[in-house]
Amino acid sequence: MNKRLSRREFVKAAAAASLVPALTSRLHAAGSGAVKVGLIGCGGRGTGAATQALMGVDKSVKLWAMADLFRDKLDVSYDMLSKGAKGRYDRVDFDGLADQMEVPEERKFVGFDAFHKLLGSGVDMVILSTPPHFRAEHFEAAVQAGKHVFMEKPVAVDPAGIRKVIAAAKLAKQKGLSVVAGTQRRHQLHYLEIIKRIHNGAIGEIVAAQCYWNSGGSSLTGEKPEGMSDMEWQVRRWYYFCWICGDHIVEQHVHNIDIMNWALQAHPVQCMGMGGREVRKGGNIWDHFAIEFEYPGGVRVLSMCRQIPGCSERVSERIVGTKGFAYIDSATGYIKGENPYEPPGSPNPYVQEHIDLIKSIREGNALNEGVQVAQSTMNAIMGRMSAYTGRALKWDWAMNASKLDLTPPKYEFGDLPVAPVPMPGKTPLV
Amino acid sequence: MKNKVMQTTPDLSRRDFIKTSAAMGAATLASGPSRMFAAGSDKIRIAVIGCGGRGTYDTTNCLNAAENVELVAMGDLFADRLERCRRQLTEKLGDKVKVTNETCFAGWDAHKKVLDCDVDLVILTEPPGFRPSHLRAAVEAGKHVFMEKPVAVDPVGVRSVIESSQLADRKNLTIVGGTQSRRMAHLVEGMKRIHNGDIGQIVSGQCVRIGGGMLTWSEQTRQRQPGWSDMEWQLRRWLFMTWLSGDFIVEMHIHNLDRMNWAMGAHPVQCIGMGGRQVRTGPEYGNCYDHFAVEYEYPGGVRIEYMGSQIDKVTYRQDNRVIGTKGKAYTDSGNLIIEGDKPFKYDGPSPSPVIKQHADQIEAIRNGRHLNEGVRIAESTLTCIMGRMSAYTGRALKWDWAMNASKLDLTPPKYEFGDLPMRPVAIPGKTPLV
Repeated sequence: MNKRLSRREFVKAAAAASLVPALTSRLHAAGSGAVKVGLIGCGGRGTGAATQALMGVDKSVKLWAMADLFRDKLDVSYDMLSKGAKGRYDRVDFDGLADQMEVPEERKFVGFDAFHKLLGSGVDMVILSTPPHFRAEHFEAAVQAGKHVFMEKPVAVDPAGIRKVIAAAKLAKQKGLSVVAGTQRRHQLHYLEIIKRIHNGAIGEIVAAQCYWNSGGSSLTGEKPEGMSDMEWQVRRWYYFCWICGDHIVEQHVHNIDIMNWALQAHPVQCMGMGGREVRKGGNIWDHFAIEFEYPGGVRVLSMCRQIPGCSERVSERIVGTKGFAYIDSATGYIKGENPYEPPGSPNPYVQEHIDLIKSIREGNALNEGVQVAQSTMNAIMGRMSAYTGRALKWDWAMNASKLDLTPPKYEFGDLPVAPVPMPGKTPLV
Repeated sequence: MKNKVMQTTPDLSRRDFIKTSAAMGAATLASGPSRMFAAGSDKIRIAVIGCGGRGTYDTTNCLNAAENVELVAMGDLFADRLERCRRQLTEKLGDKVKVTNETCFAGWDAHKKVLDCDVDLVILTEPPGFRPSHLRAAVEAGKHVFMEKPVAVDPVGVRSVIESSQLADRKNLTIVGGTQSRRMAHLVEGMKRIHNGDIGQIVSGQCVRIGGGMLTWSEQTRQRQPGWSDMEWQLRRWLFMTWLSGDFIVEMHIHNLDRMNWAMGAHPVQCIGMGGRQVRTGPEYGNCYDHFAVEYEYPGGVRIEYMGSQIDKVTYRQDNRVIGTKGKAYTDSGNLIIEGDKPFKYDGPSPSPVIKQHADQIEAIRNGRHLNEGVRIAESTLTCIMGRMSAYTGRALKWDWAMNASKLDLTPPKYEFGDLPMRPVAIPGKTPLV
């Protein structure tokens, strides 16, 4: 209980910090100068996160090293970061950041152990933005190496990974390391303002909630190129394979599920889910899920997520209390009822999360979102497990007793059969 | 604070009647009930149209619900089903079964021939796809009607049922629908308390029915017989054909969603649904889905979660729950529990609701009392249909559109034993919203 309270206070601290306008001057006052950033995972999200880390605070934040499984991915990312881009990477335009990049050839690392080499290259902070499967191991290694961390959501794909992340997050706390997660709504002003009011009782006692990520989606298209290994094909097309992606309920919908935990200041006690794959082809992930999460006090929360093109879209959260309700999405939000409220617009949260992180590093006031994002990821994972198997299940069992570990037998470019698409009532609960 | 219960049904009836009354022939309006009853225990002559398991069950209950009720005619598409039903009823009920070879009818027009007989009340228990046309014929013929749920499979059918129900009012005919929850004593008491405001204003709710895959339903028809036309194959497997059953969200889970409408005192305003056919994929399972999840939004922005599935070997669960600002109520088929400011647990008697629904109707007929559940059950049926339509297409949709504008009509081109290609399994994002 103490740990949970302290996490909550961190969040409050983060909220307060985000509202301070003259950020850079304060930073300089407290400042410790250059922050050397290492990028582990140079795909679209990694490149975006690196951009936002570099442009968020000041030019003493440097990109110092880069790592990826594939050289071609690293080169594309390096090129993009150097030259700039418009309209990409979470709606942030940026000019070339070459003056903040000091990534010579010897600090470009490729392969399954690239992350390890990068951690030994003199960086202060790492951005972990590989496909989700690799996150737990990379996070653990980064904390052991004493690095501050920005890690993308989700932070694991199975309970075994979650346990590793939680242990590492606790170690980070002991070491005074900052850990910020890519659940950027936690750093978005209108979310902060609305959730703060919910916590202060603006909608009374929370009795229900809903969260949704219903949007378009795609199928795995194209054949595996001649001569490419199963492993390479799957990692390159990672979204479509559960062991790497966690399925879209984990990979994407974790954003909205995270808001449920935040608003309710708890994680679920149990859940029951359903779903399937009506349209999507290739790989083995599904295209729709519906989960009922039950929180302490018997509060039931409905989660719906769908990735099917041509369907009605809805990405938002809604929290219902005895005195009103709150609606929030990535652009807007409000409270209606006894205490109506409309928040101001928010600065770009993808940049704000890096400002908050670097500020906490420089001020030595470690922000640690590791357990919080691990719990939200676990929510999504248990929902997926329930839907895949058709079995209702409890948080304590999933967190402590489930043996599900999707890690492949070996990390090498070789054969790797694709697991069958799950069948409720047949796929075992592990 | 009292919970405001919206009385949508009478308004809707009036509104729609203006549209429909012009379409009704003067002749049909003129013919009232086939017979007026002296109050008391006059003989009631009943008939059953649709002699499957449910028809046999309902007829048995109806004959046992009151004194002096006799079965005088029977109809079914298939002679073998009719004979089996007749044999079972005769064995169980002896001289309450007064049918003769001359009053037993098989074939596509069996219902018309039954309605030509001297009967007061007909029990409509064919597959749901036939209900709207049979109801209309029964009301036009001046018969009281007991009809099983659901009462339609598409919005066109729902509109027809509403018109027929309004016509029945004009003709002083009674209509009872087989949503027996409405006559469960614990729910009647619980709903009264909910409507009195015992849980405050309703702000949320859940409606869950996770059950088995029904894989062994009608095992003798799982293998298609060589002589069966497409039409016969689909009729014999009607439970899994959307045009006949409406899919299980309509065919079975109407009980659960009807209880939500009851608690809310309203029908939904809009919904967004998802679902699919993940496990029950064999051709003998037609074109129905095996899971649905629908969020229904009721007046005042109250969002109700519905989850239903028919998949074997999952965690089974069935419960209805409404959440108010001052408490919550569990409104399951077996229990009524209210927690909160005014806690309550029903522990009174629970007379059989499936007998009571017939007893109520016979009493109403004999005493000339108004009893017409047609519009209410049509609304509950559309509640389910709109959820299915949303899941099938992937599109959010509004009640007013479904009720007034949707052109979805699953009726086959011809009623004859011939070719009838199976409609493809719905694909969200591709199946059009009609």
